[in-house]
Amino acid sequence: MLEIRGLTKFFGGLEAVSNVDMTVQTGQIMGLIGPNGAGKTTFFNLLTGVIRPTRGSVIFEGEDITGKKPHNVAKKGMIRTFQATNIYPDFTVLDNIVLSCHLRPGVGFLETMLHTRSGRRKDREILDRSLAILREVGLDGLAHVTARNLAHGHKRTLGIAAALACGPKLLMLDEPLSGMNGEEVTETMKLITRLWEKGMTILLIEHNMRATMSLCHKIVVISFGKKIAEGTPEEIKAHPEVVKAYLGAGHA
Amino acid sequence: MSMGGLLQSLLNGLTLGGIYILVALGLTLVLSIMGIVQISHGEIYMVGAYLVYYMVAKLGLNFFASIIIATLLVGGLGIFLERVCFRSFRGDPDRSMTIAISLTLVFQSIVLFIAGGKPLSYPSPFQGVLHIFGVAMAWNRLVIVLVGFALLVVLFLFITYSRRGQAMLAISQERDGAALQGINIDFVSALAMFLGCGLAAVAGGLIGSLFSISPTMGSFALMKGIACIILGGLGSLPGAVLGGLILGLIDGILPSLTTTHIAGLVGFATIIVILLFRPQGIWGHE
Amino acid sequence: MKRAFSSVLLAAGLVVLPLVASGPYYIHTFILAMMNIALASSLRLISLSGQIPLAHGGMATIGAYMSALLMMKLGLSSWLSLIIAGLGVALIATLVGYPFVRLKGVYFTIVTAFFGEMVVLTAQQWQSLTGGSGGVYGIPGPDPIVVPGLFTIDFSSKAEFYYLVLFLVAVNLAFIYAIEKSRVGLTFSGIKQADSLAESSGIDTIGFKVLAFAAGSFFAGIVGAFYSQYISAIAPDSFGFMFTVYTLVYMVAGGQKSFMGPILGAIVLTLLPEVTRSFKEYVPFFFAAVLIAVIFFVPDGIAGLALRTTWWVSKKLGMKHA
Repeated sequence: MLEIRGLTKFFGGLEAVSNVDMTVQTGQIMGLIGPNGAGKTTFFNLLTGVIRPTRGSVIFEGEDITGKKPHNVAKKGMIRTFQATNIYPDFTVLDNIVLSCHLRPGVGFLETMLHTRSGRRKDREILDRSLAILREVGLDGLAHVTARNLAHGHKRTLGIAAALACGPKLLMLDEPLSGMNGEEVTETMKLITRLWEKGMTILLIEHNMRATMSLCHKIVVISFGKKIAEGTPEEIKAHPEVVKAYLGAGHA
Repeated sequence: MSMGGLLQSLLNGLTLGGIYILVALGLTLVLSIMGIVQISHGEIYMVGAYLVYYMVAKLGLNFFASIIIATLLVGGLGIFLERVCFRSFRGDPDRSMTIAISLTLVFQSIVLFIAGGKPLSYPSPFQGVLHIFGVAMAWNRLVIVLVGFALLVVLFLFITYSRRGQAMLAISQERDGAALQGINIDFVSALAMFLGCGLAAVAGGLIGSLFSISPTMGSFALMKGIACIILGGLGSLPGAVLGGLILGLIDGILPSLTTTHIAGLVGFATIIVILLFRPQGIWGHE
Repeated sequence: MKRAFSSVLLAAGLVVLPLVASGPYYIHTFILAMMNIALASSLRLISLSGQIPLAHGGMATIGAYMSALLMMKLGLSSWLSLIIAGLGVALIATLVGYPFVRLKGVYFTIVTAFFGEMVVLTAQQWQSLTGGSGGVYGIPGPDPIVVPGLFTIDFSSKAEFYYLVLFLVAVNLAFIYAIEKSRVGLTFSGIKQADSLAESSGIDTIGFKVLAFAAGSFFAGIVGAFYSQYISAIAPDSFGFMFTVYTLVYMVAGGQKSFMGPILGAIVLTLLPEVTRSFKEYVPFFFAAVLIAVIFFVPDGIAGLALRTTWWVSKKLGMKHA
């Protein structure tokens, strides 16, 4: 579904991402791991058009989307979450999702301004769909809470729900489990599995090793911007380069 | 146009460029590097000009001494403003902007009240002309160019080689990281404000010796400053110099080639073009 | 319920105002207050998307000149000129908006102020079109409204202008309110809170920011066009930089968070300085003091103050009836 060829990014003299090749198969859960500062979020930014690559190409469902603007990339079906600002803090939980339904369905300018019948139908559709998504992730009980008042774990779940509202073909999650306690991690892992069972392709950046190993079919390891390993969880666990990257030389 | 005319225009361009560079550097230091939403920076420039006027025309002080004193006073004002007005609203751009707007109102009305609204002027101590290549070049403009560029060199040496200068750059890129490294953010912010406002005061004092001053001259400086920064690259000190030089040359040379109103708009058009095709500016990063 | 009631009360008060204070000077002040309401509210509309422009004066100037020229050079009716001027301003705002909107925060603010200055400069220099620094005069007033058999409004008295501007402002506010409450307004607010998140959800943030800028400027253009028909003259500095800054003050002092904020701010801050006319020079100081008061003591502005006062008053009354 997603093919990345030779992706490279220089910031001035610093090579943040170095000639990365990668393929994400449809219907897979793929993991992207690596030590802090390895360039994983930069990588996501390159894929979704937040920054332009210096070299290389990104091909999504056969179409070259390299360097396209983020909102156009989203229209193609590549939807990502963020580590930091992943919610609209002053909106209610429900409005967070309602706004995220921007693409699906698309509401026309005149429809919304003139309150046409089709506009009002779409508004109802959006409301129903938003509540359904909140139920799916388990946040429907908090629908009218202002987002900034949510517990941290719920905020991250809301971020995932907002991404779902965009109707993704490829869901890119940037550290969905960060800051979550054990119970929340389990719930979110179950959610990710449920989404996959329904046919979603998922690309996942995570630091939580246990979760990554148990969820992902394939894992890519990035260190200092370079891909140093790729394979199934078992292969990665034993891979000498990976162990060295995480623990430092002398442990391989 | 004759050779003499061209040289004259070039000199005018460099003179304006020198002033613009001083304003743009000060603005970059305060706005981009320290992230202070200082919309009243133009008024700082104006206050500097009026202080120099007062000292030169009313007290009869030496021109250079007046500039130095004004710079110190205005720099001190800058430190005061940073501490009292801007420090507590660091993360809050709306309120910072509101404070800056009220400062604009306050400064303009104080100066209007004390000095009146009529344009004032004071003579430059550098009368007479220098003859080069058979062309007469006014000394007062030459001096501005020389002083401007001298200050530039000093500033660059400071930023590049002193610890405090490097600290400023570090803070502009990564505030929390810089704090963890033991950089005293409060002190460096105050320093940046001192330098930024001081530069504005020098620019104001210098331009007052060429043209007349008025309480509303500040907005002109602010807008020219922002144009230079956008052209040269936000957050970039070399960019501010480049932008100031280019716009100064445009504003100095163009009026003699075309009508004045086209010349005035060219600067604006340049900004539009830059924003459309290279929004990070000539020297800026993405 | 309570809010609707107080709004209706306010509206009723505005309608009968000229009957209460009917001197031409008073009515002129009320007209200015109405204009400021529209300007401050449209400024707030733009600020919903997270950017605060200082180009409103420039936009009003363009609207005024456009309407004057359409009426005087092309002989169009005043109503048509008004609308076309507004649309013309919206078009210009869209064109300059695209490059400007890429700048963040304070840079956007300053560069829009720069645009405002350029408008003044162009108006001063483009003698053949705008009559130069002297401006344009002898601009015809609004076309008379004739309802056969009932009445004719020929705009010969200030009161008639007042009701015209009241109507225009009411329509403006209705549009602004509709936009704010619609999905478009929701999108603006989302962009203000989390720009990159919105962009990643497929929202064209640049496009929406330009839309906000153009929409707000449209209303400023209409106000400018009205003004030129009211005063019969327009000069390059009729709506200068300070004027734009004052518009910002009305919005902030009134309370940026609520729809009523700019309305209250404009009314109070237009009328108050007129009441104390002898202290005209102190207006900038006074405004600065008001801004400082809002920052430190009353963050929700006059609107917030009014809300709290009515709540406090109703509590007192409620307790009395307990």
